[in-house]
Amino acid sequence: MNSLRFMLRTIRGLMARPGPALSLLYLTVVVLAAALAEVLPIDPFSQDFVMMLEGPSAAHWFGADELGRDILARVIYGARTSLVTAAGAVAIAGAIGIPMGLVAGFFGGWRDAVLMRIVDVMMALPAILFAMALIAVFGRSQGAALLAVGLTGVPGFARIVRAQVLTLRRRDFVVAVEAFGGTSGYNMFRTILPNSWSQILVQVVVLSSVAILLEAALAFLGVGVPPPTPSWGEMLRTGKSYLYEAPYYAVLPGIALTLTILSFDTIGRGLARILENPRDVAAAGGPT
Amino acid sequence: MTDPVLSVRDLKVDFLTGTRKRVSVVRGVDFEVYPNEILCIVGESGSGKSVTALAATGLLPENAEVRGSVRLNGTEVIGADTETLLRMRGREVGFVFQDPSTTLNPVVQVGKQMTEGQVWNGLLARRDAHARAVELLREVEVANPEVRASQYPHQFSGGMRQRAVIGMAMAGKPSLIIADEPTTALDVTVQAQVLDLLARRKQETGAPIILITHDLGVVAETADRVAVMYGGRIVETGPVDEIFRAPRHPYTAALLKSIPRLNTTDRRLDPIPGQPVTPANLPPGCPFEPRCRVGNGRPLCQSEEPPLKDTGAATLSACHYWDEIPPDDLPARPRPQATTTPEEQAPLLEIRDLKVHFQIRRGILQRVAAHVRAVDGVSLKLFPGETVSLVGESGCGKTTTGRTVMGLIPATGGDILFDGKSMRGLSFGGMRRTRRNLQYVFQDPFSSLNPVKTVEDIVAEPLHIHGIYDEVGGAKYIAELFDMVGLSPQMFGRFPNEFSGGQKQRVGIARALALKPRLLILDEPVAALDVSIQAQVLNLLDDLQRELGLTYLFIAHNLSVVRHISDRVAVMYLGRIVEEGTRDAIYDSPSHPYTQSLLSAAPIPDPVAGRRRKRIMLQGEVPDPSNPPKGCAFSPRCFRASERCHSEKPPFVHAPGSPTGVACFHAGPLDGAAPETEIPIKMEAGR
Amino acid sequence: MIGYVLRRILQLLPVLLLASIGIWAMLYAVPGGPVGMILGENATPEQIAATRAELGLDRPVVVQYLDWLGSVFRGDLGLSIHSREPVLDLIMHRLPATLQLAFVATIVAILLGVPVAIISAMRPGSWLDRVLSGWSALALGVPTFWLGILLILLFAVYLHLLPSASVYAPLWSDPVTALKSLILPALTLGVYVSGVLARFLRASLVSEMNADYVRTARSKGLPERQIMRAHIIRNAMLPFITIVGLQMAAFIGGAVVTEAVFTYPGLGRLLIQAINTRDYPLIQGCIVVILVIYVLINLTVDVIYAYVDPRIEYR
Repeated sequence: MNSLRFMLRTIRGLMARPGPALSLLYLTVVVLAAALAEVLPIDPFSQDFVMMLEGPSAAHWFGADELGRDILARVIYGARTSLVTAAGAVAIAGAIGIPMGLVAGFFGGWRDAVLMRIVDVMMALPAILFAMALIAVFGRSQGAALLAVGLTGVPGFARIVRAQVLTLRRRDFVVAVEAFGGTSGYNMFRTILPNSWSQILVQVVVLSSVAILLEAALAFLGVGVPPPTPSWGEMLRTGKSYLYEAPYYAVLPGIALTLTILSFDTIGRGLARILENPRDVAAAGGPT
Repeated sequence: MTDPVLSVRDLKVDFLTGTRKRVSVVRGVDFEVYPNEILCIVGESGSGKSVTALAATGLLPENAEVRGSVRLNGTEVIGADTETLLRMRGREVGFVFQDPSTTLNPVVQVGKQMTEGQVWNGLLARRDAHARAVELLREVEVANPEVRASQYPHQFSGGMRQRAVIGMAMAGKPSLIIADEPTTALDVTVQAQVLDLLARRKQETGAPIILITHDLGVVAETADRVAVMYGGRIVETGPVDEIFRAPRHPYTAALLKSIPRLNTTDRRLDPIPGQPVTPANLPPGCPFEPRCRVGNGRPLCQSEEPPLKDTGAATLSACHYWDEIPPDDLPARPRPQATTTPEEQAPLLEIRDLKVHFQIRRGILQRVAAHVRAVDGVSLKLFPGETVSLVGESGCGKTTTGRTVMGLIPATGGDILFDGKSMRGLSFGGMRRTRRNLQYVFQDPFSSLNPVKTVEDIVAEPLHIHGIYDEVGGAKYIAELFDMVGLSPQMFGRFPNEFSGGQKQRVGIARALALKPRLLILDEPVAALDVSIQAQVLNLLDDLQRELGLTYLFIAHNLSVVRHISDRVAVMYLGRIVEEGTRDAIYDSPSHPYTQSLLSAAPIPDPVAGRRRKRIMLQGEVPDPSNPPKGCAFSPRCFRASERCHSEKPPFVHAPGSPTGVACFHAGPLDGAAPETEIPIKMEAGR
Repeated sequence: MIGYVLRRILQLLPVLLLASIGIWAMLYAVPGGPVGMILGENATPEQIAATRAELGLDRPVVVQYLDWLGSVFRGDLGLSIHSREPVLDLIMHRLPATLQLAFVATIVAILLGVPVAIISAMRPGSWLDRVLSGWSALALGVPTFWLGILLILLFAVYLHLLPSASVYAPLWSDPVTALKSLILPALTLGVYVSGVLARFLRASLVSEMNADYVRTARSKGLPERQIMRAHIIRNAMLPFITIVGLQMAAFIGGAVVTEAVFTYPGLGRLLIQAINTRDYPLIQGCIVVILVIYVLINLTVDVIYAYVDPRIEYR
């Protein structure tokens, strides 16, 4: 009940500003379209050779690709690829990164040293190269793309959670639990973690935008989710070959992709403002 | 009569907040400042005292709307153009802010920061700046000014930084100094040095000082005139002696009655009920009416805000019924003392030669670079039902001692016995069982309560952890606890941020009581609270002790509070107890020179008595605990130190006939041989 | 000073060690391992045994690793499976192009990002701040490969001003060709990084502006511009140096994508080719070189940081 109230308050807070509100609206449309793709009267695979590389028309709102497939349909199915990859990647990153950060920050000492060195190694390579190296090992598949993007998100989670734990650990309410006999486990999961959810939530949203970008970049480079699965990055890759004949081909999926990334980013920043400074209104009254 | 340097007329400041709400923080303030005087503006948080001072020089943020008139040396400040304001700040006003650790830029040399205002305003040639900075540092008595001028703030100790800031404020030979809580962040012996320096610099320059503070002791020690602020207005103003002798506003009178005094004997504190008003929720009529003894419930007070009017003896008061204030003749209801004679019983808690050393590790190999002996051989006994205080300045190890007793920090050596049984080397389970008998109350009520839990859950948490929630009666028991600390069970579902500081501290106390402990460790439990709230919490602690037969280990730096609450007192300096004895023995006949200096440095809220007493001005500051002086740790600052003190550590002895136990070779009463007030100050490097 | 640098290198050692193990182990994680990689799937057991002996795979794992590490230190990164040329030669042939792109893009990023941040931070919350912050968000959110496509469409397809595919020419020997080829890729990459820099620098400027020492500076009668110049920027620059350093490393990642858009012959395209042809020694080599660049940048940043911040001592 409490978390529901929290959720409603957060969404109301987001809707109060035009940027986050529009972003939320756009993402809702994208998510709905991706979820209900089968129900919609579209088909991303049927080839209409007459329409090959024809521009937008009443039959094909976004035009058709080099095999005469409907670009709008492929954009909608591509959204599904993007969102699924992002969700899976964030889940992987969180499942590994959050416990890493908790343990490193809470126990310190050798555990912290070892875990943070691992994080450092993962950050020594730019995310995209790290993902490419992983795909080189695993081979190219949807699973590999998902795993690779997910693993690049681990350091971010680990570091943010660790930093949060380190700040919270010094706070008296955590020491207090220790003083009346709470165990480390109790403190970690009942005191520190509940106080870290808002930071984690912000990171989830920010990472979603990064994951979508990364998935698209991998597909653009030809090492992401393999065809024929529709993917925005793959569409840009092919579209780039037809810049002279069909400029809309590379432009329209790019708009969908860019708006999605921007929306996640805007919402992430909006959340950070609301959650990390919830009492900025109450705190008014000037520097007394 | 000379013209005032600063003249403020009907000053009003509104803040426009994010939600387009308007909050009136200052609501019509009038005052003047004349040459060569110190005007103290005193008030609790939210009274508008700092905003008033900032508004006087146009330093408020942009969301502040300022109206009225502020004339500095005849020039109108409000509505003045940037040019005028900049010139005024550069030449006519000097500022000293609260926290010297943040008011200086960490990456700019101190000397440069001290003079840049003048260089920029064309009062000083760039090439002379360094020499001028050295001169200024010398004027504020910083040793080795040539070297210090080109150092960075992190190489200065807290007191030295504040000296540098004072030097900076005076660099332009301003005609007015505004000091906003200049000593709040400093230790009491350093506070005495800084206040003394401010007063002497004022004598030399003749520039008046506006000193903003919440501490009535500081007011009594320094002020010529006082303005008391409440709810955004001045409620009373007048000469310092008059204000303290016969306050003409119920708020001032109540405030003076509610503070524990260093120089008065036992009596129960007389707290002001309720909370200080905040600018966002002012009552109609007089803002103090809801808390007022005189005016509460009176129709005139509820409907009409009284103007400041002349009440004789150069004082003004904003009260409809100022002549009805009862004289300070409250019956001295004695504070209960410990009921049993301690020596007959076995101690409840015994600390034996406790040592807590921290290692500072540096470099990649994490070599131990230094040891900090935070606690270095502390022995103390607490008998059932009594209150023993650990008192001392920052870094003396009092909090570390408390936390080690609680088992939050591992001890390096020595032993802690609870009820005759050693607590060291206990298993987790054993520790946990023992911990039910001793609990901790934290200093900062804002950070000691979990913000995502309701207060009911917070108080119940220890019971859940020990698995005895249902056993002790569940929600009904929590309601009893709430009742015990003066909170209503109707507040169960609220979160900590919906409570005021004093209420939060009550929640913290209720939580500490949940497991029915026998000993409470109270770590500065009132230090973060407003003056008028402190008395409420101190009285609550008194009552609880009597009702529940609790034993308190009270950790504090405020000597008046300690005197009020303690049965026995132990004074700590750099990890050791230097003097210990009954409360009266410590306060009436201290024999350790540190105790004597500490007591003489603590400001007392009585200007007449304050002027009569002799003050010991200690040199320097508390040394770095990782590099303590040889021999007696206090010897470099001590006025009695001999050769022996510099080489040999004095043992703690309780000599027969001596009222207290002391660790000093030259212990003895402070008599005619006491040092002069003026001691040539030799600043040691504080770190 | 030298001691300080040595200590920093020592601190990086565990990271380098772990990373090198990871890179080395890559070959063994591939399905079929190093042998399958060379022989393919249809090798006879005899062939496999022979190759194992030839590659020294029958030796203890630690020895194999140390052997590999030793040859890396000697600059021997092995032979490319695909072209049978030394990996190091292939990389060294492509590296200057990537470094040149990264260099020009850094300049673009700083020129675009720093002024945006400072102007934005001067009046937080103003319409100018909102517009510029929006621009930073856009610079960050628009995928570089799509921005590259848009730029090609505009400047090559419609305006015919610049080539759509870039070639590499050293800036110092053939500046005209070099610049013509570099403008679009450097702009693409630089715009993205300028977004990162602007957002970060603005945030740290705004938080410094609320610091107590700024109020002190105002109370001394310093005008806002001078406070910004002498106090705020000095403090905000410290974390900014770290971010610029980190972004320089990330440049290499961005460069891979940008090179693909403009078919620019740099390290990134070499790596993609290597991945597509499963040329593992070449992949390993590319990663080793990128790692070395990362370490060098890190060291430089640390030294600059310690030099600028008086609170850090070289002790």
